[in-house]
Amino acid sequence: MQENPLIDVRNVKKVYHVGTVDVHALRGVDLQIASGDICSIIGRSGSGKSTMLNVLAGLEQVSGGEIVIAGKHLERMTQGELIIFRQKRVGFIFQSFNLMPYYTALENVALPLSFSGVPQAQRTKRAKEMLDIVGLSTHMKHKPSELSGGQQQRVGIARALVTNPSIVFADEPTGNLDSNTSEEVMHVIINIMREQKKTLVMVTHDPHIAEYGDTVVHLLDGRITDITTNAKDSTTLNEPRVRETEGILNA
Amino acid sequence: MKDLLTTAFLNLWRRKLRAFLTVLGMVIGVASIVVMVSLGIGIKQATIESFAGTGSLTTIRVNSWSYVSNGNGGGGSRQKELNKKAIAEFKKIEGVQAVMPLVQTYGMIKSGRYVVDASILGVTKEQAEQFGITLAEGELPGTGSATTYEIALGAWTLEGFYSPDNYRQALDKNGNPKVTKDSRMQLTFDYRNIYTQMNIGTTDDGSGQPPTPPGDFYKLKVTGIMDEGNNDFSYYCVMDATQLDKIAKANKSFTNYNAGKYETVLVKCADITDVKSVKNAISEMGYGTYSLQDAVEMAEKSTQNVQYLLGAIGGVALLVAAIGIMNTMMMSIFERTREIGIIKVLGCRIDNIAGLFLAEAAYIGLFGGALGMGLSFGISALLNIFLASSGLRSIIPAYLVFGAVGFSIIVAVAAGMYPAIRAMKLSPLAAIRNE
Repeated sequence: MQENPLIDVRNVKKVYHVGTVDVHALRGVDLQIASGDICSIIGRSGSGKSTMLNVLAGLEQVSGGEIVIAGKHLERMTQGELIIFRQKRVGFIFQSFNLMPYYTALENVALPLSFSGVPQAQRTKRAKEMLDIVGLSTHMKHKPSELSGGQQQRVGIARALVTNPSIVFADEPTGNLDSNTSEEVMHVIINIMREQKKTLVMVTHDPHIAEYGDTVVHLLDGRITDITTNAKDSTTLNEPRVRETEGILNA
Repeated sequence: MKDLLTTAFLNLWRRKLRAFLTVLGMVIGVASIVVMVSLGIGIKQATIESFAGTGSLTTIRVNSWSYVSNGNGGGGSRQKELNKKAIAEFKKIEGVQAVMPLVQTYGMIKSGRYVVDASILGVTKEQAEQFGITLAEGELPGTGSATTYEIALGAWTLEGFYSPDNYRQALDKNGNPKVTKDSRMQLTFDYRNIYTQMNIGTTDDGSGQPPTPPGDFYKLKVTGIMDEGNNDFSYYCVMDATQLDKIAKANKSFTNYNAGKYETVLVKCADITDVKSVKNAISEMGYGTYSLQDAVEMAEKSTQNVQYLLGAIGGVALLVAAIGIMNTMMMSIFERTREIGIIKVLGCRIDNIAGLFLAEAAYIGLFGGALGMGLSFGISALLNIFLASSGLRSIIPAYLVFGAVGFSIIVAVAAGMYPAIRAMKLSPLAAIRNE
């Protein structure tokens, strides 16, 4: 790992109190993610991978340990500070797209900018640029219901990147898409990340999708069981090394 | 801020029917409270007007006698002379527009066989104007000629003529007075001139005192008749102040007339709001004061309770409407849990989320208030038609319009407070959960 990682996770624990039972979602996770890295977190349902993403994005408080992002301790931030942190540094891509159904594609992409007080004209301009990048310049006035799943997720990607964040979190970004569309959407995501030198943390249960990452973190029962590193080259886009991963999983 | 208001409006617009029903609740609430309050104001107004009909609300009656409490339930009266000096002082008090001493005396007017008792007030033309002494017909009396005195008769003086012999009223078969303003009239202050058959005082009564000579008759010329709706003055016959002074002095032995000393002085204030301070200032000088304000204040106090009651009845409807708003907002939050979660994840500040819901509530209040006012004006107009005969009135003053709209916004925002806090506290994780 590099000297000064953008994201530094130190012995993070998360316990949910469900009735009288304590559920240990994370049992002491250490992880460093460098700036510009594309990191996949893979694990079965209940492995704690979603919890991992939530605590990294500051959506949930950790029960123990430290999360340092760009030198700042997330676990010490107040709700208000976390929101400002998300406004400035974080983009989010959801599994179920989570677009505002009443807004057009353009309005959806512009939405996060309104939270940080960017003037209307500038918001629209920036949102148009982003939709252009994801290849939806012809669908700006469409509502989500008029778009296909893949198109909706591309709007989601544009929205995640419109504020020019340093980190993008993606929660099963292809979970609601068929395999062809998944490939297409993953290409869009990875290309933009590479081009704009963003850090991507992506959670998935699909080994195939996970292989798009430079590093693949394997989670099981709240612990990291393995971290594999892929070479950063363009071929990873075209031929994910599925078989290798399967071998690891079977091990 | 502009974004917030636009978004809030669009959120309501999306759920048109529900927003409309909620607004409708508010409309009914606002209309009921406004109509109730407007009736209350109508009652109050009617009370004040009924007092205003009996005299000017800006006039203070100053008496030389005043009641002094000795502090343990009892008290006595004291007298302070009301003279020209006192009048000059009254004029200096701030808020005083005019001062008029009641220069008055009592005499009898004789016309042929009939007579009438008359209270005669001496006024100048200037005073008549300042105190609103108006005539139903004719004009104010002037100085007249050397032998004739001009007079304006009281509103009911002609009807008052009677025969001094049998006390029958001087009315014809149709009930109209037999004496008209064109009849020849004479004024005297000596009752012995009228009740001649009694023969008192003019001859030696055996007391050894020489009898006083009989009083003179003065020829009168009627210039006008007082206005019936003339508050305190309708009853009086009016003469020019200096003329009255002259003949009253000449008949001192009959009239007890005391020039330069008054029993009552009227003080006219520039505005109804000055009455209280002027009245206090005069009271402090040691005079007795009375103004219709006192009676009006008492009446206002008693109608106030009625107003509160009416307001409370209307308030119940508004309360129900407020609960309706709360319910609508809560429903809206449950529906939008995911939406709220998403905007939280995307970096929307929680105070903005609360602001959004409060803005939606404020819109409901604004529209409810505005439409409610419209409905109120309609109901008020209908009530005024149907209640016209009963004397009840519905009055919606401008302050009630703005007050009601403002109040409905405040009520709506207050009702939206709890839902807004709930929305603020919603977990952003709701957005992540995949259904």
